[in-house]
Parts: sequence; C-alpha cells; structure tokens
Amino acid sequence: MLRNFRNFSDVEFDFYKSGALISGENGTGKTNLLEAISFFAFGKSFRNCHDTDLINFSSDHLHIRGEFVKNEHILQFESGIEKNRKKISLNGSRINRTSNLYKFIKTVYFSPEDVEFLSGAPVFRRNFLDQALSQYSFSYLELLRRYSHILKQRNILLKTEYENAIKKSWDKQLINYGSKLIDCRLKYLDSFIPRLQKNYQCISANRENLSLKYRYSFPRRESESLSSDLEEYLEEIAGQEKETGHTLAGPHLDDLQFEIDNHPVRSFASQGQKRSTAISARLVQAEMIRVKDSETPILMFDDVLADLDKIRTRNIIKLLHSDHQIFIASPNAAIYKDFKLKEIKLELLP
Amino acid sequence: MFTGTLALLVQHLKKLPGIGNKSARRMAMHLIRMNKAEAIALAESIKTAVEKYRNCSVCNLLSEDDPCQFCRAPNRRDDLLCIVENTQDVYLIEETNEFNGRYFVLSNLLSPIDGIGPDQINFPALCEYLRQHQVKEIILALNPSAEGESTINFLAAELATEIGKITRLSTGIPFGGDIEYTTSITLGNALKRRYKVNDQ
Ligand SMILES: [Zn+2]
Repeated sequence: MLRNFRNFSDVEFDFYKSGALISGENGTGKTNLLEAISFFAFGKSFRNCHDTDLINFSSDHLHIRGEFVKNEHILQFESGIEKNRKKISLNGSRINRTSNLYKFIKTVYFSPEDVEFLSGAPVFRRNFLDQALSQYSFSYLELLRRYSHILKQRNILLKTEYENAIKKSWDKQLINYGSKLIDCRLKYLDSFIPRLQKNYQCISANRENLSLKYRYSFPRRESESLSSDLEEYLEEIAGQEKETGHTLAGPHLDDLQFEIDNHPVRSFASQGQKRSTAISARLVQAEMIRVKDSETPILMFDDVLADLDKIRTRNIIKLLHSDHQIFIASPNAAIYKDFKLKEIKLELLP
Repeated sequence: MFTGTLALLVQHLKKLPGIGNKSARRMAMHLIRMNKAEAIALAESIKTAVEKYRNCSVCNLLSEDDPCQFCRAPNRRDDLLCIVENTQDVYLIEETNEFNGRYFVLSNLLSPIDGIGPDQINFPALCEYLRQHQVKEIILALNPSAEGESTINFLAAELATEIGKITRLSTGIPFGGDIEYTTSITLGNALKRRYKVNDQ
C-alpha cells in the first residue's frame, strides 16, 4: 500500500511469489515502485536522496505498508515520513535504527546506473562493496560505521594544532578497525571473485574472462600484516596528512579493479561488457546472501537488460535461481517475455 | 501557547536529558498545579543540591564534601585507581562490590569534533594526582566507544612509564554500548576480567 509515495497518491499492489513485470511508459513510476519495495529492506531509498524527497509533491507526509512472506512467516512493515521524522515498524513494533531492518528483507537492485560504478570514481565501487557486505554481514556494518566515525574524528584532528600523543590515540584505532574492515572485504572477495568469473563466462558464452583485484591505497607487502603496512605508510605520509588535513590511506580510499581479458573495464570495456559485468556482480551479491543465509533475496531489474543482445539476456535468465522473487521494470515488456512474469501495467495519470 | 514565567519554566525543563517539548509542558503544568509547599520544597532541594555539589579537588568527582567520601575513606586501597568518565560511573562500579580502590573522574572523553583535548579530560589534574599518590595499577573503566578507545590509548601511552599495570574492562560490555546501561552484574564481570591495555 503506497500513500503519497513519489507519484503514487493511493494505491495497492499484490504480487505473485515469482514477482512481476512492471511495464508502462516513462514517467508512470516503475522505478518508484521498485524503490518502495526496496525501502523495506534498507529503511531508505536506493537512490541517493533525502527521505522527504519520497513524499508526493502535493502532500507533506507519506505512508507505506508492505507485507512479505518469509519462511512461512508474515512480516508486516509500515513506515511514515513527515517533515524530518521517519517511523518504521515491523509487525507493530517500532524499529529504531534503520540498519536493524537489514536482516529481515534482502533485495538486490540492478540499477541502470550500475554501469557508473565500473566507469566512475572509486567511491562508486567502494559503495557497491560496502553495501553488499553490510547486507551480507551485520558485523561488517558495525565495523564500517565505527571506522567512518574514527575517520571523521581523525580528519578534524588533522586540521587542528594537535599533540602527537592524541594523534597516535586515533591512529591506533584507524589502523585496527581499518585493517579489520579490509580483512572482511578480502574474505568476501575470496568467494565473490570465482563466482563473478563463472557468471561472466556464462553470460559471455565463455568468450571472455573477467577478473577483479583489490587495490590498496597504501603499499602492501605480502610478508607483513595489513595493520603494520598501514601503520608504516601513515607514518611516512604524516607530513602530507597534516598539510591537507585528510586521512590519505585506508579502506575509505581503496578501490576495486575489474578487468576483462586483463584490460581494465573502467577504460577499455564496451557498454555491453560493462553492463554484463555489473549484472554479474549484482547476481553474485544475491548469491552470496543465498549461500550464507539460505534465503533468496528479491531481485529487481530496472530495465538493465534492454541494451544487451538476446544471447546474453538468455544466458542471464539461465543464471537466475528459481526461488527468487523477481521484479522487472521496463517500458518495453516484450523483451522480457522469457521471464514468464505476470505483467503489471502502470498508466499515466490524466 | 505558554507565555511569561511558564514559558521560561518550559525552556529550563527542556534542558534536562530526555525531556522534549511535550514532556516539559506537561511537567510545567503539573508543577504550577501541585501543592505549593511541595513544589517549593522541590525547587529548594534543586537549589541546595546544585549549590552544594562541586568537583572534589582530589579526584574531580561531583560531591557534597571536599575531599569526597571516596578520597577520605581510610579503608580503601591507595595503590589501585579506577579512571571513569562521569560521577555516575563511580556509583555503578560501587554497586558491583568488586572494587575497593580510589577513583578519578575525567568528566569528558577525547573528541576532536567537540574540541575536547587533554585539558578537557582533566589530564593535568590526573598527573598531579599520580605525583601525590603511590598508584600501582590503573583501571581504565571507559566506554568502548571510539572516543573511549582514543582516551584509553592516550592515557595508557602517556602513563606507561610511571604506572606498572594499566588495565581496561573486559568486553562483557556490548559493542558500542554504554557503561551506564549495563547491569551491575555484567559490569562486575567486566571488572573482574579486566586485562592489560598493552596486551590487546
Ligand atoms: Zn575525591
């Protein structure tokens, strides 16, 4: 049930277990509907926007309700946003921190902008990894939050006249939590990368080989531990950090490098290759959750298959686990016939 | 709308922790309606307590007497010092019956965002305390928050040469949790299972 959510003033939808194909012209709110479903997984939009942006322009509040069936249990979410206040409840009890929602409903959103994380700035790739991992492991989220807080404190300290002993008290934590964070990422990538390669090979019909490397923002020696490498480098660049007032090394500056047949995707890949890479990565994001928690996340394709050829699209369908609930949004329903989903056609309001 | 002295009262009540506009208004309405003598007794007791309580000149604890009861007590160990953030932490630790040393109250934790450095955590006064007392072990009973960790790291490094044993509470306290919200049983265990800071 959506009330005053984006362009929906008051509407209810019922979906099959298999999902739905959401069709309709541009401007009918296909992405908005996906956004509403995903809202219950994250307590916020998947778009980088403010909560109040979700409210219909003709109103000052919104109210949404969603009922999910998971392991034969009913999860009833409700949320209201008014001015700067947001309330979310699950089966009648209030959820205080949005991150406490993460463990209930898991969604993976295949965004048309996913291609950006391959060609854009490193921050997009870090965000992809951080988001995937936060959904995968609650302790990663706690670790990430702690690290970001330490980073914020340390950056402010670097901009002031500080005593070296005080800086050291923050360095120690930055190194400790920073190396733990990187360690979690590496462990995740250990099982992520082979799955990614397999998926990509399947999509490209064995013609191309995709690989992924973790890029450190500091010199990394195999003989030393992560923390001593980071510690040593921070000592080396202390003068530079003082000058700029920024922490210049750590997981917040690390990057991922995707390569197809040993060429960086960022600069060499075609649009179709980038699209296939992004879809492969999202599929592994879902697969990792399925393997760890034996639950199948809801998959949401926001018209991402449109620019792929028929063979690649068919190969992607082959990769999908049959238990997923799948939502596809597209102005062109015909392309997605093979998914055999019930079509929900959104109409433009008069 | 509340006006005049009532509005002023609401403004003051809102400064209390956990009191929003709504509760402040309800409390203010209740105060002016209640028995006059009782309400004035309440106001007086606030006034006396606030005036009488000051920081102990030895350990910085908020106390009616100076030196405070813990600094004066003859049967407490002088060689064991427990460093806490706030006066209320002292009472929580007292409830565990696991500690029989002296206390020192920092009043703050290191936090660059809030402009809190060594002076604001009473580090100079702590150094003075240590010059005047023969302390063999320091227990850093601070929140395991980022600010608490920073303070622990700082104090442990600064005092390492003078103090033989510097310990911190075991992590019986949940990640990101407050000392204030843990039950005294868990805090007691955390005290018993304290470990050397440099061993972590
Ligand atoms: Zn005292």
